[in-house]
Amino acid sequence: MDATIFGAWVATGLTLLIFSFLYKDNPLFKLAEHLYVGVSVGYTIVKAYDTVLVHLVVKPIVEQGEISLLIPVGIGMLMLTRYVPKAAWMSRYAFAFIVGMGAGLAIPRTISSFILKQVEDTIRPLLSLAGSDGVTFSMNLLNPASNLNAIIILLGVSSVLFYFFFSIEHTGAGKAVARTGIMFLMISFGAAFGYTVMARMSLLIGRLTDLIEYSDASYGRPTIWLLMGIVGALFLLSRKGQEHPPDSH
Amino acid sequence: MKGDTVTFSERMLKIDRRIIFLVIGLCTLLPLLYPVGLPIKISSEVRGVYDHIESLPEQSVFLLSIDFDPASKPELYPQAIALLRHAFRKNLRVITMTLWVSGTGMADQIVTQVAKEMGKEYGTDYAFLGWSPGGQAVIINMGQDLYSAFPSDYGGRPTKELPVLNGVRNLKDVGYMVDLGAGKPGVEEWYVFGKDKYKFELGGGCTGVMAPGLYPLLRSGQINGLIGGLRGAAEYEILIDHKGQAVAGMDAQSATHIAIIVLVIICNVFYLSLRRAARAQGQAG
Repeated sequence: MDATIFGAWVATGLTLLIFSFLYKDNPLFKLAEHLYVGVSVGYTIVKAYDTVLVHLVVKPIVEQGEISLLIPVGIGMLMLTRYVPKAAWMSRYAFAFIVGMGAGLAIPRTISSFILKQVEDTIRPLLSLAGSDGVTFSMNLLNPASNLNAIIILLGVSSVLFYFFFSIEHTGAGKAVARTGIMFLMISFGAAFGYTVMARMSLLIGRLTDLIEYSDASYGRPTIWLLMGIVGALFLLSRKGQEHPPDSH
Repeated sequence: MKGDTVTFSERMLKIDRRIIFLVIGLCTLLPLLYPVGLPIKISSEVRGVYDHIESLPEQSVFLLSIDFDPASKPELYPQAIALLRHAFRKNLRVITMTLWVSGTGMADQIVTQVAKEMGKEYGTDYAFLGWSPGGQAVIINMGQDLYSAFPSDYGGRPTKELPVLNGVRNLKDVGYMVDLGAGKPGVEEWYVFGKDKYKFELGGGCTGVMAPGLYPLLRSGQINGLIGGLRGAAEYEILIDHKGQAVAGMDAQSATHIAIIVLVIICNVFYLSLRRAARAQGQAG
């Protein structure tokens, strides 16, 4: 059998097995779920072994004599001492190296990228200078750089920051500001949820597109045959469940 | 009469969820089988990526990091295909790689497929460097010495011998870089550890879930364009005038969105009618 056709049958079968969960939890779904986890982990282990151990460690040391690589290898090996209780303390050196290096790399770069740059972008002039004779105010909501949007961002940032300021009771004018902050947060959550819905629907579209493609005669119509097979299997499982209900005591 | 309405509302609010799944399934399937061809408007964020690639002179170095695995394929695969078609059509030197070990095979398949379709030769016109462990450390390493991060390509050939990499020592020699990310490491890491430090132009592509989180980077100019989800891919396909999977899925996307909006409205109507009925009963009692 051609590898493409075999792949089409496997992909269709696993997609339909996973979709069978929409009807109800069943052993066919569990089978596909476990296969997914197993194949993912297996693939990752094989790729990591081949790329890291063979190509980045063993070959350079053996073939090119890069002895300096033994230092990171040694630090990495210290991690494995966690499996030996008496020597487990040695793994702390490896962790200390990783935490120290990670923090050293990440902290300055993150402050620069996500705090300073964003603060710089948030603090924008509310009015624009127009030549030498005056100021202008642009009202275009669709232009992210418009003055109106700068005011909206100012209101949003200030009110949300105030909402998370718990040292003052949110009463009177403070309550109004905090409520404005909640409104901005709700709009933000709504936008995020809208995008999430779009993303999930895209995944469904992707799978259905494949199922439609694989219903073609050139693949042997796996979508149709496997759909019938899985519906039949679910029916039989359901009948079996009715005849032999699970032990309740 | 009022009692009937309440009963009906209660019944509707407790409707079998499988009926909702069926409705959503049909709203997705029918437009895929019978496309309508709803218009697709191009957004400025997607145009940002397109315009920058258009502005690059021939033989510029274009780096594409395919940082996703098959779980995000429906959204990011069409983006990768469209971007590669555009880059190859512009005769750019295309360097591809991945920071996601689970996406290595798929990334290789994407690059090989588009290169074959566009008649490009491996090593001369494009290269796939494969995966290297370390995530953000790989980006930093590439910023210092690309050949140290990737001593050999996906097929095991020494990267120093690839003609497509002539004159490329590190990330500073890259004309434009686009990261298609489905998580971490992704667009944010490429900005933080790549562009912010080594000063190259960066664009992004991401799943729909991630897009709202990346808009602040776009607004501040930290990235010069953003392709968000299947919708972004469809826009890019329109821009390069090569309609593919993403455009085909847009009718289904619109239909499901309408179905969800209608379901949310109906659910709220039933909920409010129930609440009103409960209030009326309370007053009567």
